Amino acid sequence: MRNYAALDFAPVAGLNVFVGANAQGKSNLLEAIALLGTGKSFRTARESDVVRHGLPSASITGQARVAAGSVRLSCSLNVARGALRKVYAINGRKVAYASYLGRVRVVTFVPAHLSLLTGPPALRRSLLNAALAQDSPHYYAALAAYTKFLGQKNALLRAAHPIDEALLATYDERLVAEGTTMILARRAFIAALGERALAVHRAWVGETDGTLDLSYAADVPDAVPTQDGIAAAYVARLADKRSAERSRATALVGPHRDDLVFRLNGRPLGAFGSQGQQRTAVLALKVAEYGVAEARSGEAPLLLLDDVLSELDPQRQRALLDALGSFEQAFVTTAHPVEVPAAATYRVIGAHLERVAA
Amino acid sequence: MPTVGPKTAARLVFHLLNRPRSEAQSLAEAILAVKDRIQLCSHCFALTEDDPCALCSDGRRDATLLCAVAEAKDIYALERTGAYRGRYHVLGGLISPMDGIGAAQLRIKELIERLAAEGPDELIIATNPNAEGEATALYLARLIAPSGVRVTRLAYGLPIGGDLDYADEVTLAKALEGRRTLS
Repeated sequence: MRNYAALDFAPVAGLNVFVGANAQGKSNLLEAIALLGTGKSFRTARESDVVRHGLPSASITGQARVAAGSVRLSCSLNVARGALRKVYAINGRKVAYASYLGRVRVVTFVPAHLSLLTGPPALRRSLLNAALAQDSPHYYAALAAYTKFLGQKNALLRAAHPIDEALLATYDERLVAEGTTMILARRAFIAALGERALAVHRAWVGETDGTLDLSYAADVPDAVPTQDGIAAAYVARLADKRSAERSRATALVGPHRDDLVFRLNGRPLGAFGSQGQQRTAVLALKVAEYGVAEARSGEAPLLLLDDVLSELDPQRQRALLDALGSFEQAFVTTAHPVEVPAAATYRVIGAHLERVAA
Repeated sequence: MPTVGPKTAARLVFHLLNRPRSEAQSLAEAILAVKDRIQLCSHCFALTEDDPCALCSDGRRDATLLCAVAEAKDIYALERTGAYRGRYHVLGGLISPMDGIGAAQLRIKELIERLAAEGPDELIIATNPNAEGEATALYLARLIAPSGVRVTRLAYGLPIGGDLDYADEVTLAKALEGRRTLS
C-alpha cells in the first residue's frame, strides 16, 4: 500500500516511534495500522489512493492480542474499473464491515485535530462518529442507515415538485428512529468524555486556567432523555421546520446538525480561548477519548499519534505522554527527534524501516 | 457481460472457435430468441414468453395472497422455496430519489390498481433488507394502509442452522425485535 511494495513488521509493546524526513512513509505506516484496526483510513476520503499506483490491490494483515484472545485481522482494498472494494476478514473468514469494526480499538490523533475547536462542526461530529462506531455496532448501524435515509430525503426535497408526501413521511419516520439511537448514544458518550476531560484538564492546569466544560449541543432540543422523549421532541422539531426544509430543499433537523461545545469558565473556547488554551483542551479531549474507549471496552486501545508531537511545546508533549501512560501499545511519527520514552525507535527512509539502537 | 472478466471472455472465444459453425449458429439464435420472445407479463410484470405469464394464468395459485418484489429475478428465488403459492407483482426496482427513482418510476400505481381489482387479503412485501428495500416497504405500507389490505414483510433475522454466538449484534438485535409468540 502507498509507497510500500511489501513490509513485515513486528512492533514492540509500549511506544514505537517512527522518525524520518517527510514523504518517506511514516504516516503510511500509521494509516496501515488504522486501516487494520478500524477498516478506514484516517487520512483520506479517497481510499483508492491507498493502493500503490499502478497496482490492483493493497492489503494489510495483522495479529492482535486482545482480551478475547488472539485475533488475525485482514483488510484488503481492491481497485477494479475505478471502483474500490474493501474485503475484511477475521481469522481468515470474510466478514461484513459491521462485524469487523471494533475488534481492535484505535484512538488516532492527527494534526487536523488541533483545530478541532475552531474548525467546522463536521470535524467534531466525525470524531464522535469514529469513536462511537468502534464502541458499538448498533451505533454504526444507526449511523449508516441515518446517512443513507438523509441522502434520500435531501434528494427528494431537491427533486421536482410536488413532493411525494408519503415518501417524505417514510424517510422522516426512519430518520427519527435511527437518529434517536444516535442522540442517546452521543449524550452518554459526551457525558463520559466531559467528565474525564475535566479531570485531565484540572490535573494539568489546576484551578488557574479555569474549568473545562464539554457539552452536547444537540439539534433536537433536550427533552426527556429517553427513547420516547427524544423521538417526540424530534417529531415536533420536524413539524416546526417543515416549510423551511421545503423552501431550502435540505434536511434541517437531526443529529447531522449536532455539535460538541467546549467552554472554559462558561465561555466558548473556540471563539474566546487563546491558541494555547485551545490546544490544552484538545489534548484533554484526546486523553479523555482514550480513557473512555479503554473503560468501555475493558482493554487499552492502540494509540496512533501522527506528526502531532512536533506541533506541541515540550511541556505539552510531556503532559500528553504522561497522561496516556497506561497505553499498552502506541505508534508515533515525528520528523524531528522528540524527547519521548520510546520502547523502540525506527528510522523510516524510502519505505524502509530500520530499528535504531537505544 | 456481468461476472465475465477478460480471461473468461478469452476462454469463451477460444471454445467457440473450436466448435462447429452449427453450434455457434444455434447459440446466436438462442440469444436472439431471448430478446425477441421474452416480454413482460402485462399483469404482474414478470418475465414471460406468453402474456399473461404462467404464474398469473395458473388458477391453482392462491388469489388471496399477493407478493411484491423489486425485480423479476426475485420471483425465481421465492418460487424455489416452494413455500409460497400466491401471486406476484414486480415493482421494477426500489425507491431511491438519489438515483432519480420515485414512486412514478416503479409499478406502484399498477399495484394499487391490482389490489383494488383483485382484492387479496394480504400483501407480502419481499424487498431486500437494506435501506432502499426498507423505505420502499414502509412507503407501500403507508399508501396501502387505508385500503384495509393486510400488509406484511419478510422477517429479518438469523439464518437457519446458524449459531447465536456467531450472529452479528445488529442482526441479532433485529431478530430480537421481530421475535414471535410461541405460547
